[in-house]
Amino acid sequence: MKQLTLYVDKQSFVHAVDPITKLFYVAFAILTSMLVPTAYAGVICALLSLSLLCLAKVIKNASPVFLFIGFVLFTVVVIQGLFGVNNQTEAFRLSGLIFYREGLITGAKIILRVVNIVSAFLILTLTTKASDLVEDLVRAGLSPRIGYVITSVFQIIPQMISSADIIMDAQRSRGMETEGGLMVRMKAFIPLIGPVVLDSFMSTKERAMALEARAFSAPNKKTFLRERPAYTYAAKLRGAFVVLTLAALIWRLAA
Amino acid sequence: MISVSGLHFSYDGKTEVLSDINLDIDRRSTAIIGQNGVGKTTFIKILKGLLRPASGKVTILGEDVTQKSAAQWASVIGLVFQNPNDQIFKKTVLEETLFGPLNIKMTPKAARKRAMEALSAVGLADKTDVNPYDLNLSDKKLLCIASVLAMNTRIVIFDEPTIAQDWQGLERIKAIINSLKAQGKLIMTIVHDIDFVAECFERTVVFNEGKVLLDGDTADVFAHVDVLRQARVSQPHIAQLAELAGLRRVCLTEDEFVRAFKDYAFIQ
Amino acid sequence: MKKILVEHLKYRYPQAAELALNDISFEAEEGEKIGVIGRNGAGKSTLCQALTGLVPHFYKGAYGGRVIVDGTEVLSSSISEIVLKVGIVFQNPFTQVTGAKETVYDEVAFGLENLGLPRGEISSRVDAALELLRIYRFKDQAPFSLSGGQTQRMAIAGIIAMRPRIIVLDEPTSQLDPQGSEEVYQALDDLSDQGLTIVLTEHKIEKIAQYCDKILVLQDGRSVAFDTPARLFSAEDSDAWGIRPPVYTSVCRKLLRPPTGVYPVTLSEAGEALANWEAST
Repeated sequence: MKQLTLYVDKQSFVHAVDPITKLFYVAFAILTSMLVPTAYAGVICALLSLSLLCLAKVIKNASPVFLFIGFVLFTVVVIQGLFGVNNQTEAFRLSGLIFYREGLITGAKIILRVVNIVSAFLILTLTTKASDLVEDLVRAGLSPRIGYVITSVFQIIPQMISSADIIMDAQRSRGMETEGGLMVRMKAFIPLIGPVVLDSFMSTKERAMALEARAFSAPNKKTFLRERPAYTYAAKLRGAFVVLTLAALIWRLAA
Repeated sequence: MISVSGLHFSYDGKTEVLSDINLDIDRRSTAIIGQNGVGKTTFIKILKGLLRPASGKVTILGEDVTQKSAAQWASVIGLVFQNPNDQIFKKTVLEETLFGPLNIKMTPKAARKRAMEALSAVGLADKTDVNPYDLNLSDKKLLCIASVLAMNTRIVIFDEPTIAQDWQGLERIKAIINSLKAQGKLIMTIVHDIDFVAECFERTVVFNEGKVLLDGDTADVFAHVDVLRQARVSQPHIAQLAELAGLRRVCLTEDEFVRAFKDYAFIQ
Repeated sequence: MKKILVEHLKYRYPQAAELALNDISFEAEEGEKIGVIGRNGAGKSTLCQALTGLVPHFYKGAYGGRVIVDGTEVLSSSISEIVLKVGIVFQNPFTQVTGAKETVYDEVAFGLENLGLPRGEISSRVDAALELLRIYRFKDQAPFSLSGGQTQRMAIAGIIAMRPRIIVLDEPTSQLDPQGSEEVYQALDDLSDQGLTIVLTEHKIEKIAQYCDKILVLQDGRSVAFDTPARLFSAEDSDAWGIRPPVYTSVCRKLLRPPTGVYPVTLSEAGEALANWEAST
């Protein structure tokens, strides 16, 4: 069965940073770009995240994501440029359509914000195994139950996809047309939902019993087989991110 | 009824799951056996039009399988899936059974008649208004069989029909298969239960590493003990006993064994 | 010493009208292999869950009688105490993979981490369990990359590592191909050599007859027979219990009248009995 993961197994200094420090970075990059009242902060944060993606050698894996949001954002800019609520100043005309300066600026700000959020999260997801992140969070005090719920989501989704494939085949075998126009596809979707939900409900119940059998709810403190390599600069980096974010907050309040 | 020539298939374009399969499937009931991962399910999916061959030709009743969609083939070939929970979605047993017949454009009246016949055949006629989710696993499986039988296809394929069945469920499935054979339908199965193959299927095809390793009348196939071992397929229990008892023939049923043993002991 | 003691066990699932288990009593000695057979819905899985405390701790409902495993009463102990005495393995190998671990090795260690064992102890137990189940060579592979039989053995290893004295297996081979089933049965042989008490449900009657010391037959939640395979399948009324005897037994019934009244139940026993056919008729 396929595992749902975006993790790219490579060696780089970004990969070496521990998951929780990366979480601090995500919070810092997103908050700073939103708090600091000049657009430059957003530009700097985005550039920082993008160059980290390059240095981690995962920019290639990130590009399909950017391509997809790029397409969405392009339509946002066009719509804002044409119909933004504050539109006043004409910027340029293109085959009879008038684009306005205000709308284009709003569009650009939205782009910057989205690129910031997406690239910060991509650093985390492309260079960190989900299980490492969860395990570190559990070590840091997160309830193992919540930790397990997070991990199992990554597992249940591919499982649902593969059972949906089989269920789709079963209904096609009974003469249900799945190829064709939108209506045909929509209709084909209905027989899927019941079995998919039921299948995953039943395997969830079985899995819960299997977990109980492995002493998952034992009241004692858990041990960890793997010693996680401590990241040397964890404390310094986390501190730096907190200080910078606070600085951004103060700047915002003062402005 | 089904002819397969030079069939190749691969999921990723690199590793061949099926390589050069040539089979002419006639009216004999046919079991396809072999370990997991040797391409049995892939083969069945191609017959059913759910997958397209990479190369080679598959014809069903003289027509190229790639000429129609899986849904269009539904009126010709029925396939009973392994896990009933992958199929059942309607609110009552009767509605579930009607789904296939109505899809293949039977009139509501004809569909209802076929559905009721199929439900009687599997012994669920008194449960037409029951919610399928309230049935136990054996009955769910029988419901899935009924929902395929109701489509009255000339070919019926079973994917692992004996899994999780108790003795009574197994006997019922054997009876259904025998009655379908009597109606002149082509019955095929992919299955691990060798005793079931010995009892119900006239022809056996052994798959190994994407190829046909053995093919012939069931008794002949189970005579090739060494070749079977290569595919990690064992003999039916009764055939093992026949070998141990020194009978020089393959027995497939208990009665066959008892007769053969009495003859043998008499000569000794 | 009695490893398993079940006395007048009754159980009804919440909202169910009928008893799933109705006055079950049986016992097992150390190292015994007990087979549980019966029709679907006869209560086999429920009994497995009752032996491991999932009934009544995971599934609530009405409960009566006593289940004592390795000296511990199930009703008055928590599941995490019971798992130290008795482990359970389920039908579907893949739903038993926790999914939280990257390698087979770490997957097997999962239960031991939950128990809070020290690191050295965990490694030595995991090594031993992997060796015993003959999957040590897969230790660095991803759990989901294994075949059905290998995954089921990994599930058993995860249980065995917790060092229970009893292991309960609910149709452990029904989803596996013959090769995978064979692997699991070989593993069970190794476990029983280690002195574990084994309780096993299974539809493949020839396997049960060959493998188990005693068989418990359930019918509609009641225990209708508890005996050695030979005596059980030789009994005239065994057909009425909704089970069939092994092929070897039913063939011999048509050919032999053993003076002891006890029929062969395995391939080798039947072969031997038939070799002396002249003498017995």
